[in-house]
Order: sequence, then C-alpha cells, then structure tokens
Amino acid sequence: MAERRNDDVWTAGDLLERLERRDKFFVLDVRNRDEFESFPLEGRSPVPAVNIPYFEMLELGGKDEMTDSVVAYVERDLAGQIPSDLPILAVCAKGDTSEFVAQGLRRLGYTSANLKGGMKAWGEHYATRAVVDGPDLAIYQVSRPARGCLSYIVASAGKAIVIDPLRHLNPYLDVARGRGLTIEAVVDTHGHADHISGGFALAAKIGAPYYLHPYDAIHPIDMLPSTIPCEFIRDNQMFPVGRDELTALHIPGHTLGLVALRLDDRYLFTGDSIFIRSIARPDLGGKAEAWAPLHGRSLRKLLGLPGRITVLPGHFSGLDEADETGRFAASLDDLKRRNDGLIVLQRESEDGFVRYLLESLPNFIPEYVDIKRVNAGLLTPSEEDAATLELGKNVCALSQAYMASGGGRE
Amino acid sequence: MSQVFDKLLDARGLSCPMPLVNARKEIGKLALGQVLKVVATDRGSVADFQGWAKVSKTVELVAQETESTDGANVYVHYVKRSA
Repeated sequence: MAERRNDDVWTAGDLLERLERRDKFFVLDVRNRDEFESFPLEGRSPVPAVNIPYFEMLELGGKDEMTDSVVAYVERDLAGQIPSDLPILAVCAKGDTSEFVAQGLRRLGYTSANLKGGMKAWGEHYATRAVVDGPDLAIYQVSRPARGCLSYIVASAGKAIVIDPLRHLNPYLDVARGRGLTIEAVVDTHGHADHISGGFALAAKIGAPYYLHPYDAIHPIDMLPSTIPCEFIRDNQMFPVGRDELTALHIPGHTLGLVALRLDDRYLFTGDSIFIRSIARPDLGGKAEAWAPLHGRSLRKLLGLPGRITVLPGHFSGLDEADETGRFAASLDDLKRRNDGLIVLQRESEDGFVRYLLESLPNFIPEYVDIKRVNAGLLTPSEEDAATLELGKNVCALSQAYMASGGGRE
Repeated sequence: MSQVFDKLLDARGLSCPMPLVNARKEIGKLALGQVLKVVATDRGSVADFQGWAKVSKTVELVAQETESTDGANVYVHYVKRSA
C-alpha cells in the first residue's frame, strides 16, 4: 500500500501515527458543541483545539460560500486563537465540511489539513499490532483507538481464536487471510455494553462456533434471553488453538458472565476486569450493590495468578496507557504497583473495596442499555444507528469518574 | 402535520454543509415573513438547522419533521426569514 502522503489530507491512520508520535498540531473542530464535548480528539498528550460549529462560521462569516465565510470569520474572529506556527487539522463529523475549512485556512496562509472521513472515520479506524509474533505463537492486538476498545487474535500452528471482535470484521479477516490462519472459534469475554460485538457475525461468516458465558446470554436490565445462538462457556473450559490452549476463568463482576482467558503462565486476556490504568466498573447491568462484591472477589482471584503473566485488557481510557510500541500490555506484577484499582484492592478489606467501587462509579450511559440489547439480538439497528450508538470513547472503567471528579493522575 | 411554505429547496442527496449553505442562499431571496421548506437526507442537518437558527439574527426555525419513505429518512426543515 504505497500511497503517497498528501499533507493536505490526513487519513485516520495518519492521525493515529501523529498522535502516537506526539506530533504538535492544533485542531479546529467545526462539529456541534455537544458532539465536540462528548467525543473530543484525544492523543497521548492533550491535543489543543477550538470548537466553532460550521454554521456559526457560515452565518457570522456572512458570505454565500462556505470557504469564503471561513476566510472572513477566521480573519475577523479567530486569528488570535489559532497558532500560526502549527499545522491546523480541520475536523467535522464526516469530513466534508472540514475540507472547506482547511481550504479557507490555507487561503489565509495557514498550514492546514482535513481529517478524511471526519470523526466517523476516526471512530471506526482499527489498528492491528502483534504483541508476540513468534514461529509458534502469535497474538495480534486489534484496537479501535478512538473508542478505546481492544480485541485479539491468538494464533498457533495455523489455527486461531478471535477474542472480543469489534463490529467491523475486515481487520480480523485480513489478518487471517494474510497469515493463512483458520479461525476455529470466536469468544466474547462478556456481553458488551459499550460497543456492538462482531462476535456472532464473524463466527457466522467463517462457520466457526461463537462462545459466550450463559449468564451473559440474558439482558440484565430487560431480563430477556438473547436471541443470538451461541455455545455456552463453562468455568475452566479449555479452548485448544494449534499447539496452545486458552482456559476460561469465570470472573463475574463487570457482568455476571464475564470470563478471562488464560494462555498458561504467559498471557491473560482480562476482558473488562483489569485494564492498564484502572479496573472495570460493576454497575452497567444496573445492579452495582449486588455485583460489586463479586467483582472484588474475581479481581482477587486474578491477583493470585503468576505475577509475570502479561495482562491484555479489553479497553483503555487513553492512548497514553500504551507502551512505547503502541501496545496495551503489562505484567500483572507491574499493574499491582501502578493500576489505581489494584492498588486499592491490595490495601482494602472486602467491604472497603466495595465502598471504593461504589464511590467511583462514572455516570451511567443510557445508550449502553441499547447496545446490550443489540448484542443480545433484542434490537437490530441500521448501520447509521449502529454508528451513532457507538460514537465516542468507552466508559467501562472506573478511572474516568476519578478523572472527571478532578482527581486525575499524579 | 404539514406546514405552510413559500418555496421548496430539495437538498436530498447533499452532504453537510450543502443543505445549510443552499438554504441560506435561498432564504436571502425570500421576502420578510416567507417560509422556506428544505428537504434533506443528511441526518446531521436536524441539529445543524437548530444551531443555525440560534446564531442567525435573520431566520427562525418554524418546524422540523422526519418523514420515512421506503425505510429512508427525509429530514424536513421549515425556516422563516424573520429580519
């Protein structure tokens, strides 16, 4: 894919590269204010931005054509707020309007690029990185950087298991095709609330079984059974993959049917339990008081695993949680020292930890009830509705509440 | 409920920002108090017309409707030239 880079247009992939390198640039975001606030562009370091909805530029710029209005508005009202020594990335919802904005800025002498496809393309961008790429075992971490979702392909001797595939299936099919892998099983670690699972769709497409724990085949708020066919996961069930093997550990808490998958003493796919910076929230099923003690006991069970095991989580809250190679992975011993939730878990009694969990709950996200319905086959959205449901970053961890309350990290 | 209007602008198939850019040009040609009906397929136009009416001193958003034909949504905006 030797595509010549055009500096006037950044693809979502170009943007990720620049965010990971901590390149300096400035964002002029012309979406509506609520869109800007609920789904900002975030990098390893904060990205400076100003938000002026395009219809304000058009109306207050006062010209008939969009680009002319941008020129007039920026010249008169915005010049002091936009740095002249940084590239300006123009951002909108789908990437059409921001093209006019980038053109207007260039006419005024700024260096400006358009984010191709807008925040929709950024939200649907996937990045695949090998965590380990040996002759026997390979693990690929497939992420949606804007949403903070992580999924995995575990490959051994030409066979593969996909864990928690996200809504778009091509990233998984591409790896399987490129590496000559046969996907033998698709496993969802739990019934997801923050994103639409690609689990059943992927399994159906390739003719592999789709696995889910039976407790998560019931919508916890509707109390209705899932209509999506699946094989039920048992605690300690083995999933052979080539010469290796994954073992399911039932660790209820974030959901009642959450499982972690363990690959001997080397890798632990934690789903929504232990993340890098934080731990999962126990309230998305609407039963925080009942589930928080289970969550604490499950996390203690995971803490008893060998400390050298590498944790591969289901989410991240910020790109700064990645290591220098862009991978979201750390040893359990390392996380015992620096993960906010695990630090409290090791310090507190069972009751004290439950109090901490209940005091650290982020706002409940109403869309998550519908997303769980989609994942249980109780609701079938159009592509546009699916994209809207998934907009923005996941809020599956406790840490965001801590950040939002002004705590933040040292 | 169907609204009274003086001119119709068909912005179906156009993506953002064109429904609003075109509506703004058309409403400039109307007399005070006249209403422009805009039909668009861009879902974002619903919030955008609301935001535009808030910031503009010369237009008023009279009504918005969503019509569904053959499973495809059409978003209808009635804007009045108010000044």
